[in-house]
Amino acid sequence: MDKLIDDEMLVAQFQSGRQNAFDELMKRYKSKIFSYLLRSVRNYEDAEDITIEVFFKAYRALGNWQPKAKFSTWLYKIAANLAIDYHRAKARHPVYALDDEDIPEAKLIATDLVSNPVKQLEEKERGRIIREAVDQLSPKQKVVFLLTRYEGLQLKEAAETLGMAEGTVKIHLHRAIKRLQTILRPLWEGDEI
Amino acid sequence: MSSCKNFEGQAIDYVCELLPKAQAVTFEQHLKGCDACTKAVQSLAVVLRVTDEAQAAVTLPALALQDIEMNVYKRLAAAPPMHQQTLRSRVRSYVATVSAILQGHRTAAVGTIAIALIAIAVFIGNPFQPKAALRLTRAQSADARMEQYRQRDIQRSLEEALITHHVRNDTWETASQFQRMKEQAHGTNWVKVANKHLQRLQPGVLNASNTTVLSD
Repeated sequence: MDKLIDDEMLVAQFQSGRQNAFDELMKRYKSKIFSYLLRSVRNYEDAEDITIEVFFKAYRALGNWQPKAKFSTWLYKIAANLAIDYHRAKARHPVYALDDEDIPEAKLIATDLVSNPVKQLEEKERGRIIREAVDQLSPKQKVVFLLTRYEGLQLKEAAETLGMAEGTVKIHLHRAIKRLQTILRPLWEGDEI
Repeated sequence: MSSCKNFEGQAIDYVCELLPKAQAVTFEQHLKGCDACTKAVQSLAVVLRVTDEAQAAVTLPALALQDIEMNVYKRLAAAPPMHQQTLRSRVRSYVATVSAILQGHRTAAVGTIAIALIAIAVFIGNPFQPKAALRLTRAQSADARMEQYRQRDIQRSLEEALITHHVRNDTWETASQFQRMKEQAHGTNWVKVANKHLQRLQPGVLNASNTTVLSD
């Protein structure tokens, strides 16, 4: 299928019964949505399950979707809401997971320990501490931080995605960064960064 | 030197590149004469740099997403159909719809027509939801897609097993991959293909249930 066809055109094709159009939309966004969710939930299997749920919900709702905002914004909205639900559920029923062992990057590092084991371990530990700091943000701070910093969403797009005012998104972003600064300060005060 | 209060909150916007150009220029001029704000900006920049590095390190393995489509269609096939309505809920929704239409104009004659419409709608179909046929087509289509992805998955397993056999020459792993393929292919002719390969690998590997499938 022609990559130049924009998302909204594909949605229109899907709405008129062309199933392939949804496949193309999945192909375009599965990696982005998965990456976002992996950063958010920091668990490979949960990120995969939620990605499937995002596209499942999108498929079911796409028949009645109206192009008031960009398709990608709408898709991130579904993903963001599911991520927030996930974090709320996790806060209610905390599970002490193996943490970074679930993240592919950590696995890759672990397999490469022979090259420079001490440095690799230090890098891994530093990465873990920093990602845990992001985990300590409130669900809304975290979702705003991830969407604006790593998914390339402008404040306005993040606001549309999350159903918030642009000013509110900015406040969450400010609070997120200030909180990260507070949490991570001991790292570079101890010359670890 | 301008008061720092005038620039409160701008340090974060500046490091996030959210300030409009004119404000950014003004803020930069302020930074030249203000150690406190300069230190704040530097500290924030470090926060963003280290978090960016940590997040950038989270990458997806190449094969991580190959099953997403099939699993989405599996999920769709397993889910109950959308807007499934019982007879009672259908009557209720028709009454609500017709009542809304007739609000303020309830005469006996129109009421009679409404009742007739409800009866027709209940027994013939829903005149207010003409997309039912389309939904049915989509549900069938989801099943077909799922099957299509399953077939692709089976073929991929077959390819992997053949590669393991011919390139790595690992009989035990090849056999276990064909067994996995058989499980994926349950109810299809691919089971026979897997069985043939298994027989060639290890003549005694098939159990009683597999033999039954072959004889079919």
